[in-house]
Amino acid sequence: MKKKKRKHIPVNERTLLSWIRDSNIKLQVFLFIIIVITVFARVLPLEMQKKIINEAIFLRKIDLLMTYCAIYLASVLTASGLKYLINVLQSLIGQRVLAKMRMDLYHHILTLPLSFFRKTQPGMVVAALVSEIAVAGDFIGMAIAVPIINVLTLLAFGGYLFWLNPILALVSLSIYPMVLILIPILQKKVNATNKKRVDATRHLSDNIAESISGIHEIHGNGTYQTENRKYDNLVNRLTRIRIIWNFYRYGVKVTNNLFNNLSPFLIFLIGGYLAINGRLELGALVAFLSAQEKLYDPWKELLEFYQLYQDAIVRYKRTMEYFDAVPEYVLTPLDRKPYELDGKIEVKNLSFYTESGIQLLENINFSLNHGEQIAIVGFSGSGKSTLAQCIAQLYSYSDGHIYIGDKEVSELTKQDIIYNMGLLSQAPFIFSGTIEENLLYACVPLIGGDSDGNGEKKRKGEKEKEPDEETKRELPSLDDMIAALQQSGIFVDVLRFGLNMVLDREQHSDLVSRLIRVRKNFQDEYGDALEDFVEFFNENEYLYHSDIAGNIIFGTPTGDDDITKEEITRHSYFVDFLHEADLTRPLLSLGIELVRQTVDILGNLPPEAVFFEQSPIEPHELDDYKMLAERLRRKRLHQLSRHDREKLLEVALRFTPGQHKMVALSEVLETLILEGRALFRELISEEMPDAFTFYDPSRYIPSETILNNILFGRLKTRNPRAREKINKSIIQLLIEEDLLETILQIGMQYQVGSKGDNLSGGQRQKLAIARVFLKAPKILILDEATSALDNTSQSRIQNLIETWWRGRSTVISVAHRLDIIKNYDRVAVMKAGKIGEIGTYDELIEKKGLLYELVYGKN
Amino acid sequence: MNSSTEKTEAYPTCEFKENLAILRQIYLFSRMPLESLKIFAYLCTKEVFQTGDILFHQDDDDGQAFYLMAGTAQLIRNTPEGEQVLREYSTESFIGGMSLMGKLPRLYSLKAATDITCLVMTREKFAKALAQFPDMMPRVIESIVEQVQAWEEQFLHHFGKSESPCLKRTGVSLV
Repeated sequence: MKKKKRKHIPVNERTLLSWIRDSNIKLQVFLFIIIVITVFARVLPLEMQKKIINEAIFLRKIDLLMTYCAIYLASVLTASGLKYLINVLQSLIGQRVLAKMRMDLYHHILTLPLSFFRKTQPGMVVAALVSEIAVAGDFIGMAIAVPIINVLTLLAFGGYLFWLNPILALVSLSIYPMVLILIPILQKKVNATNKKRVDATRHLSDNIAESISGIHEIHGNGTYQTENRKYDNLVNRLTRIRIIWNFYRYGVKVTNNLFNNLSPFLIFLIGGYLAINGRLELGALVAFLSAQEKLYDPWKELLEFYQLYQDAIVRYKRTMEYFDAVPEYVLTPLDRKPYELDGKIEVKNLSFYTESGIQLLENINFSLNHGEQIAIVGFSGSGKSTLAQCIAQLYSYSDGHIYIGDKEVSELTKQDIIYNMGLLSQAPFIFSGTIEENLLYACVPLIGGDSDGNGEKKRKGEKEKEPDEETKRELPSLDDMIAALQQSGIFVDVLRFGLNMVLDREQHSDLVSRLIRVRKNFQDEYGDALEDFVEFFNENEYLYHSDIAGNIIFGTPTGDDDITKEEITRHSYFVDFLHEADLTRPLLSLGIELVRQTVDILGNLPPEAVFFEQSPIEPHELDDYKMLAERLRRKRLHQLSRHDREKLLEVALRFTPGQHKMVALSEVLETLILEGRALFRELISEEMPDAFTFYDPSRYIPSETILNNILFGRLKTRNPRAREKINKSIIQLLIEEDLLETILQIGMQYQVGSKGDNLSGGQRQKLAIARVFLKAPKILILDEATSALDNTSQSRIQNLIETWWRGRSTVISVAHRLDIIKNYDRVAVMKAGKIGEIGTYDELIEKKGLLYELVYGKN
Repeated sequence: MNSSTEKTEAYPTCEFKENLAILRQIYLFSRMPLESLKIFAYLCTKEVFQTGDILFHQDDDDGQAFYLMAGTAQLIRNTPEGEQVLREYSTESFIGGMSLMGKLPRLYSLKAATDITCLVMTREKFAKALAQFPDMMPRVIESIVEQVQAWEEQFLHHFGKSESPCLKRTGVSLV
């Protein structure tokens, strides 16, 4: 660790060229060798050309012609092959450096202070990391190979030219100095406009990001014109800049071209004259012309390289300048282990100003012994959260001191803070991944696992061996995790996630027989009581909470005979069966009704889950069905194409009366389907007995969720009250069968979705609470941590803080509700950035001061 | 049978149409044009409660509104002194429209006095649907304002002349 810091330059201060050092040196050396061979292979054909004309053709020697041609061919092939190899190597080097750049920059950005992000649009960071920096990476790939190969080729060809004819060589090379003077002048203009272009592009993306994230405001106010005007102006400005930029760029190219084309003209003029006078062999002239022509390619490549270099450096600098901020705190301590502080907190004369100079905190003083608990309450805007965030080192305070275990907070490293403190913010963020991953999120840095993902460092053989063995903590055990889930109250939710998963049979084959036992017990003990909420599978009754296909089949395909659950409704056997059971026409007509009604209701709605929960048509299919509904207006059933009929049948087979309320199920159809079920079973057992397993109370249904398997039926309602009743009974049975932990473990694999979208607001907050409880820090900072929870959960967590956490952790709790603060050791009431009064709840109420006013209102 | 122009009469009345008819009677939705009302009707769900079940708990922010299709419910307030039954809601009452608008921890509990069948709308669905019709918002606000006004007028009509100390704190329509 210490060695690595030999000279650590922040990524944003590195020059573009310094990245060459980061590329693989072995690869670079290898590349260099290939280049030298390639140059040789490029010059050789020229010499062969001369020899073929001068020796073979002139002297009429077939064998020499053959030999020279063979050498010619071989060197051309070698040169092309090697050129490809060079490109491959370049891209290897370039892409690796680009990856490293992207990683380092991202790692740097994450450590920047929060104040930086208040001024930064996420879109800007995305653009910088994803597109802007790519050019720089490409450039590094070429940074060594391109100049070397082309300069060497130029030198080789140039040398060859001199060897052939010094005068002609001088004449043809005379153009290059002129080019070398003109091009940089033009390039300066290109660079200047390019800088403007990068800035204009950035403005544009900022503007897009802003308007997209504020789209509801635009819709709400109908300010399309205003936003369009802003955007159009920016686009116009960018267009102007890009046009000028391209003018200059093409100017560079054309100038270069012109001079290159002038060169052969000079050779023809002078060389031709010399050849006519017999002072130059024809073969030499031909070779000279080819060599001269070939000068053009490396020269062009060099020029392009020069342009790319200029472009890359402009983009690179602009990008790095943007992120030119310094982390406020050192991340890891250099020469010591992270402190294990004691939970004593002392705040002395603390003040905090925003960057624009507004004072948010003024002269705050209080202290807490280890294990004491303080509640901070106050009027809104009084600085409660700011105070908590200063203590948690999220903001750096302007004046005064905060001591944790006698150490000044501003001088602690981030790791010291992380080791000793847990923060629960008002709007906790849940990252995509499983429940388990999110639960362990705060614990992973404690075991040093945070550097795991950083393969780059490891590859270099610099083992990061912190924290040392003694301080190294272990990941919490399953029991700890379950305890945290229970404490935060998300236990039942996780259990439900587990119950709602389809069992991976290979992983949990042992569970099946135990779940069947649970099913039987459930039926015996709760079957009657829960009949209102569960529709049990019953062979002789219609299932209103299963779709029509399910009602007919009353089982699941085994996967043999090519019949799968998803495909069955389109399988020819099944389609033929529907005909035979007289179901096709009634189902088609039901399909028509479903499509019409659903399109009528949902036709213009965005594809949000909440709108499609009760729809037989999936959001992504809506457009197709809209067109079908349009055709249904004009055509009769028998006029529809086969494809349309299939689509109608598909919707009809999905129809679940208990869920899709836009159409009702007629009694006639219900009877027909029940008849169909009996017929289907009969036919299947005769014709393909292995293709299906029919619902049977003694068999596990692999395609159904664990819950449905236990219920041996389906829930009738999404109502939380019903779920609660069912959950209670199932938990009881799972405990008896010793399955609770297993189901929880399965539930912890539930994917929470991007930003935790698959969880409710309350669940997200509970998960965040579980996360910090699991970490069990010595200092616990709660910033309105329970605001999204229902009353019961809130009081339960408050209770835990007052009993379990009392004495273990020092608690600073910013509270929005005043009925939960009675039992805190101290209550601090804030007003306008100051602590107005501090003391126990009872003392303050008796005083009839600020707290009294907050609780009972102004008299 | 094979005609796609066949009328819908072949199907019994579906829940969706029942819901539509109900919503038209409720003040919050009555000003909406059919086009948007359909979405709300579609999003409602029918729920059943048994006698003694709690529809919502005091202090919880459940974000639901109920329309009693059958059965009656009691409004209850828990105080440190005990449980107090305040009033009874009869069939066809609409309860909790304000919870659809924003965070609103309940000041009361609602208990099923008989078996209840009701229509339920949640805040999440209401907000998502309303977001689709931004120009509906002023109408909803108008309906609420009118409703609050009417409520207080009625209150004054019944109790305005009494000596009740409650009168000292009236003025909901003035908030």
